[in-house]
Amino acid sequence: MREPAWRIFAAEYNDANHVIQARGEKAPKYVITPLGAKINRLFIVGVLTDVEEIGAEGIRRRARISDPTGIHVVYAEAFKPEVASILADMPIPSYIAIVGKARIYEPEEGVLYLSARAEMAKEVSVKERNYWIIEACKNMLIRINAMKDAMNMKNVTAKQLMELGYPPLVAEGVAEALKVYKDVDIHHYEIMAKEALSFITSGRKEMKQNYEEEEEKIIKIIEELQGEEGASWDDVVEKAKQEGMEREIVDEVIASLMEKGLIYEPQLGKLRIV
Amino acid sequence: MEIDIEAAVNEILEAVDADREAVEKDLRKFLEYGVPLEHAKEAVINKYGSVVKEKKLKDVRVNERNMCVIAKVLAIDEREVEVRGERRKIYRGLLGDETAVLPFTAWKDFGLQKGDVIKIKNASSSEWEGQPRLSLSEWSEVEKVDYDIDLVKRPPQKYNLIDLRPGLSNVEVRGKILSIEERVVNIGGEERKVFSGIMGDETAKIRFTAWHDFGLKEGDVLKIKGGYIRKWRGAPQLIFDENAEVEKLDEEIIMEERIVPLYKIVEAGGGIELNIQGVILDVRKDSGIIFRCPKCNRRIRNGVCEEDGEVDGVPDLRIRALLDDGTGAVDVIFNREISERLLGKSMEEYLKIAKEAMDYGIVYEEIFDKLAAKPVRVKGDSMPSDFIITIFASDAQTVDIDEKEEAEQILMQLEG
Repeated sequence: MREPAWRIFAAEYNDANHVIQARGEKAPKYVITPLGAKINRLFIVGVLTDVEEIGAEGIRRRARISDPTGIHVVYAEAFKPEVASILADMPIPSYIAIVGKARIYEPEEGVLYLSARAEMAKEVSVKERNYWIIEACKNMLIRINAMKDAMNMKNVTAKQLMELGYPPLVAEGVAEALKVYKDVDIHHYEIMAKEALSFITSGRKEMKQNYEEEEEKIIKIIEELQGEEGASWDDVVEKAKQEGMEREIVDEVIASLMEKGLIYEPQLGKLRIV
Repeated sequence: MEIDIEAAVNEILEAVDADREAVEKDLRKFLEYGVPLEHAKEAVINKYGSVVKEKKLKDVRVNERNMCVIAKVLAIDEREVEVRGERRKIYRGLLGDETAVLPFTAWKDFGLQKGDVIKIKNASSSEWEGQPRLSLSEWSEVEKVDYDIDLVKRPPQKYNLIDLRPGLSNVEVRGKILSIEERVVNIGGEERKVFSGIMGDETAKIRFTAWHDFGLKEGDVLKIKGGYIRKWRGAPQLIFDENAEVEKLDEEIIMEERIVPLYKIVEAGGGIELNIQGVILDVRKDSGIIFRCPKCNRRIRNGVCEEDGEVDGVPDLRIRALLDDGTGAVDVIFNREISERLLGKSMEEYLKIAKEAMDYGIVYEEIFDKLAAKPVRVKGDSMPSDFIITIFASDAQTVDIDEKEEAEQILMQLEG
């Protein structure tokens, strides 16, 4: 069976810290997000904010794609030269669609870096981007409802959730997520979906204007913390929260600063002023 | 210890038909000699192993060997397959007893006929469509018995048509006959009437075949108890015969077009008159301008038809695209007419473009550019395919939504 491509927001995907693999030699691996997405393949549409060459061969590329909730990191590998060259030639910023496999990097126990390994890349228009946001939100709403139903059950199994009409992958993902993530903050994801939708209902510009003050704050924080290697992303978020900013807004502002080219990510999880 | 022995004796008696006292005595003897319990158990089973206990079909699991079952042949047909380069006939069908109905495959001709009650020794089982399937091999012994057996009395299980998948048996469905035609087929020298057509309910449409004259007419709304599902021409098919209970209902079924999530179609292994919607996530490389043989309509390469040799190819435009809705993925084939509509250009225009560029690849590139990442809605039937469910489109259009309204609606549900 071909694995379906999950329309998944960066913030939910990057929140995941659990990976499962069925038994068997070539069994696929799945990333389980806190909200119960069970992801082997992703479909991402967002704004291409950065493409860099990696590796010695000059073919591989690493790209960053910003969606309303955060940043997806996408790799184009040497065995997909056509995808790498599409990425290399695309103007920045531009709207991009990516289909890719979950790329799971676990340098040490308990540390998980998630990204996507691109199978397909294509420049798209704002129309496809908005359609994607709507699909991502619709799918998220299904998981939110499944998670709420699951939380009201005793000894949740995927089968029980399927009987309520949830698709098998959602049912399996939600049952698994409930086992491994403690106290899933559904409200956090509801806010995430609402904010993503406000990109469409109220238009993007307004949101940006609203965050001018916050943007200055974040830049100050990064300046304070960055040192030689850049400021740790988590520390920046923590500090901003201490200063009274909501988590969702912090992510939004960081994404927007990156998109404007005011800050960048010298390595995964680090932020620096340009 | 005593408890262990009793449990072990029970286990042995599950596996073989033997006298309890004799089994216990043998087991104790092995234990006295210091043989570990597990080995002792095996040794006793081996000793009585030649007498295999008859198994009920409901107790058959996947990957079992050396089973003995007594069952009735409910359906059988033969087909030719290729095994290690050799063509051979195999027989497939359904076996039933008072506990269950299971599919089976016989790898040689045991002369089985529908209605035979048979005793099978040394049968094995494998997995098929998620349930056990009995396998009768060279090493199986089959003998006809001269008595009849009762068939499973468990009530048939109710299904919506969308949930039917190949391998299910004893199903109860409700549906409306949308079309029906009568054929006469020759089975083993005997002429039989069969009735086939299309049936629908609120959830889906399905092809059916009735092996008995129930006096069905187009427009009838029926309740059918005791049908089973096979895969035929790349889609599930409902089959029922004189063993089924068919009741005409005095009600109407209103069929509405509704979009089926792709995972349902993947689970069912296909479907007919489907309405689906997804995003095109890939355009397969064999899309674009192709050339067909003017005699047999087959695709030709470099002006040569496999069947008819060198021919003047007739150009055609077709697209094979991967459609994904986030729950599942299928391939969709668009013919020339639909492709031209989706692309907004005619095949003639593409032929001109390709000739100017002296490269047909340019057509593929334009198709990819125009369709990849685009949401489309498709109608069509699935067709036989090996790797991924493939739907032959009878209609297709790109999807335009009112973004703001959709967003407002989801926001409302998030508030609710």
